[in-house]
Order: sequence, then structure tokens, then C-alpha cells
Amino acid sequence: MARTARSGTRLDTVLFAVCGAFSLLFAGILPGNVRESFAAGLRRTVVAPLVSLQRRAELSRSAFLTHDAITAQRDSVAVRALGVAEIESENRHLRALLGLGAKLQWGFVAAEAMHAEDTHARTPSEDYTLTLTAGSRAGVRPFSPVVAPGGLVGMVRSVDPTMSLAITWADPDFRVSAMTADGSAFGIVQAHLGTGPERFLLELRGVPFRNTLTPGVLVVSSGWGGVFPRGIPVGTVLGEVKTAEGWARTYLVRPAVPPPEISSVMILQPQRVSAGVETVWASVIAADSAARKVSAAGDSIARLAAQEEVAARRAALGTDSLAAAQQAAVPKTHAESVAVATGAIVSRPTPVPARPATPRPATPKPTDSASARRRPPADSARRTAPRLDTLIPSTIPSAQPTGGRQ
Amino acid sequence: MSITATLRLLIAFAILVLLNYTLRPLLGWRTPMDFLIIALLLASVRVRPGVAALIGCAMGLAADSITPASFGWGALAMTAVGYSASWLKAVFFADNLLLNGLFFFLGKWVYELLFLIAARRLHGAEMVMQALVWSPLSAAATALAGIFLLVLLRPLLETSPA
Repeated sequence: MARTARSGTRLDTVLFAVCGAFSLLFAGILPGNVRESFAAGLRRTVVAPLVSLQRRAELSRSAFLTHDAITAQRDSVAVRALGVAEIESENRHLRALLGLGAKLQWGFVAAEAMHAEDTHARTPSEDYTLTLTAGSRAGVRPFSPVVAPGGLVGMVRSVDPTMSLAITWADPDFRVSAMTADGSAFGIVQAHLGTGPERFLLELRGVPFRNTLTPGVLVVSSGWGGVFPRGIPVGTVLGEVKTAEGWARTYLVRPAVPPPEISSVMILQPQRVSAGVETVWASVIAADSAARKVSAAGDSIARLAAQEEVAARRAALGTDSLAAAQQAAVPKTHAESVAVATGAIVSRPTPVPARPATPRPATPKPTDSASARRRPPADSARRTAPRLDTLIPSTIPSAQPTGGRQ
Repeated sequence: MSITATLRLLIAFAILVLLNYTLRPLLGWRTPMDFLIIALLLASVRVRPGVAALIGCAMGLAADSITPASFGWGALAMTAVGYSASWLKAVFFADNLLLNGLFFFLGKWVYELLFLIAARRLHGAEMVMQALVWSPLSAAATALAGIFLLVLLRPLLETSPA
């Protein structure tokens, strides 16, 4: 028993000595490259899973440590991003204001407009009031027009040395003499005083009953009255408002400058009002005019296309084939159709009247201007011509190119 | 030691090795707890001194493979710690948590001292600072972790009644 214990102790000592010598061999005796190759072998085999675990744990720790910093960074970026839209809007507005200043060239005072909400002076009437950061020292006078790049904003009501108060077009007392951009209709623009979505809309009142305005027509100041010079955009027509007045029409107008967009404005000085500002917004008016013409032409083309389709169907069904052939003989080009729609005067050949001796079911309509516009153009007749080929030739007594009908 | 006890010891050993390569880098403390030393000490008190030296040498080489600059010195220190712990098990092998904590503390501190002296990577005040401040702190953290793990792993580490 004692011999076994002694031999066991000796074995332990030998093992310890061997392990110690082995460790010392690697620690100080073997060259570095041998040591490194042995360590690399261990790293690639036995220790590889442990090294992988350690790397992932370190990555997790660094992710955990940087999480707060990254979150704070992301939050600050998000906060900045929230303000970008506002900054872009302000930038766009200021650029437009610079453009307006360049067009006006002289006779104006630039000012910041503070709303009643900003100045904490909130009373019901001050929803329509602006405090402007320019006063009499800068040349601002009462009744000076206040404009923005989009058009008319309002009018200066009272002036202090360093600031002034202005009413916007939304004020119930505000009036401006206005007209359509082409000068075809005149009226007085005032606040609509509606509720909800219609709160900040305008009315064009007193338009003569004979003048019908289509939605989208630009309304500008007419220059009558002496306060507002001619040619400042006021808004665009939205539609007619039914009123009890039988002698005039009233139209709902969308303002050119919505109240929330009023931030920086220009105050026109009396000399500039006298000189006129018609050239400043001329491009806007011209664009509106062109847009209306294009729109009208598009409507006309669509209407004519619909009529062509109806005529073609009728021809195909054979219910009125001879009438269709006669219509095909009436020369009318597509360009004429467009010109008619846009209001241009186009010479037109007199249509051949129907012969009373041989009445047909499809007798041509009277040749007044309205019916002439409804007539299918020549190109539609050409489209229907091939359909005539499908008819039995014997049923067409004389389908000659002259267009005569027997 | 029975097969069941050996299996239990192997499982506990594997858990401690895994903790050393996961929890330790995850915590990233300046005075890290050394789960390998805890595993070595727990194994050493259950095997003969020669086997403990062998285990210490193997563990040391595996641990040193990640730090090639001091390759071998860690193995030497662990061999010594394992062999000594196995000899001293008569003193420390008691069912007393505080004694076991002291055992872990001494084991880790001795390992650190052996490593510092053998590897000679630090000199002067820096070495003194490491030996007298950081190493004891690390040993204390190891001892606390060891006590905590002893409580947790008691079902695995307790000796069978047979």
C-alpha cells in the first residue's frame, strides 16, 4: 500500500516535471517560428471554436457599448431631418422673394411677417393681421400693398417707426378691384369668410352675368382704386357661387398666397405703385393664358374625337350611311377644329344644304356656329370611308369623290 | 472518481471554459475574472497532482495560443497552480464557500504572479502595480465568480454518496 502511494507520488512528480519542462520548452527554448507554428496549429483546431466565441462576444460588447452613441447620433440626425423640409421650404420662399426683388428692382421694402400666433396677441380679428418688421423709417406708408412672390398678401393698415401692421386678404374689410388675367371680366375680390376648408378662400363678386369664368382662370388686381397696382395675382377661380343676386355672378377664388406661406413679404412704396408692376408677374399671367388655351384645345380635341367615334359607329351600322357620306364631303381639317376650340376665326366652306325633294332621315343640321362646331371634321370622314366599302355597292347610287349625294 | 462524477466534472469544466470565452470578453472588465483558473482548480482538487499538472499544462497551452508573445509561460504557471492545488486539496477541499473562495483567490493570484515573474513582460513600478493591485483585484473577482458558480453548479460538483 505504501509502495503504491510512493509510486503514485513519484508518477505525479514526473508528470509535473514533464509538463513543466514542456511548457519551458515552448516558453524559452524553442525558436519563435516553431512556437508560432504550434500556437497556430492550436488556434486552427482545438481553440478555433473558442476563439470564434470570443470574437463574437467582443463584437457583441462593442455593439452594446456603441449602441447608445449610435442611437444618440441617429436621433440627432432624425431631428435635423425633421427640420430639413422646413428649411427647404424657407429656402425656396426666400429664393422666390429674391426673384421678386430682382423683378421689382426698386420701390419696395422687404420685411418679415409675424402672424398673430407668433406675437401672442391673439384676438379673433388678429387672425387676419400681420406684424411687419419694417416701419415708416424704411419708407412704409399706410395703404401700401403687401405682396409675396405668389401674389397679393394684403395692405398696410398702420405704421410705426420700426414696424407696421398689415391686414391680409382674409380680413373681412379687405377689398381689391380685380379682373381676369385677359381683362375679359372685372369684379371685386373679398374674403369668402367660410368655415372649415373654405375659411381662407376669396370671392370675386360683381362679375357681369354675361361673363362666365371657368375654373382655373387667374384673377389679378385691376389697378382701379389706386391702392393696388394692376397685374398682381390675387388667385385662381375655383367655381361659381350661387347667390341671390341676379345681375352678377360670384366666383370662389383660391388665393395666390395661402396664409401659412406668408413669412417674408415685400411692401410696395407709393412711387412703385404709381409706376405699375404689370411686368413683374407677366410671366405668371402669360403662363395662365397659355395653359387656358392648351386646356381649351384639349377639350375641343376630345369632344371632336367623341363625335368622330359616334359618326363612325353610325356609318358602320348603316343606319345613316348616306348622311355620313355627305358629311365626309365637307372639308374640315384637324387644325381648324383646334382653332375653333381656341376661338380663332377660321374661314369655312358653306355646307351643302339638303335637297328638300329627297328628304332623308339624317338631314344636316342648320349651319349656325354652334352646329358647325359639332360637325365631324374631314379626317373623321376619311376614317369612315373604308367602312363604306363594307356596304353593298348597289345600295349607294353614286358614291363619287365629289361628295354629291343623290 | 466514478464515471458519473467524471461526466459531471467534465460538464462543469466545459461550462466554465465556455464562460471564459464568452462572458469574460462580453464584460470586458479591467480586472477580469478567470474562469479557466476556476475550472482548473475545481478539476485539480478531484484528480491526482500529476493529472492536475497535465490538465494545467494543456489548458495553459490552449490559452497561450491566443497570445503567442507569452506562449508557454501561461502553461507553466497553470501547471504549477494545478499541481499545487491538487496537493493542497486536503487543506481546501471543504464544503465551505469562504474557504473555496480563498482557494480561488490564491490560485488566481499565484498564477498571475508566476506568469508575471516568468514572462517578464512588465518591469519596475508597473510590475509592482500589476502584482499588488490589479492581480489581487482580478483574483478577488475570480473568487467571487467562483463562489457564485459553486452555488450554481452544486448539483454537478457535489460528491456522490457512494
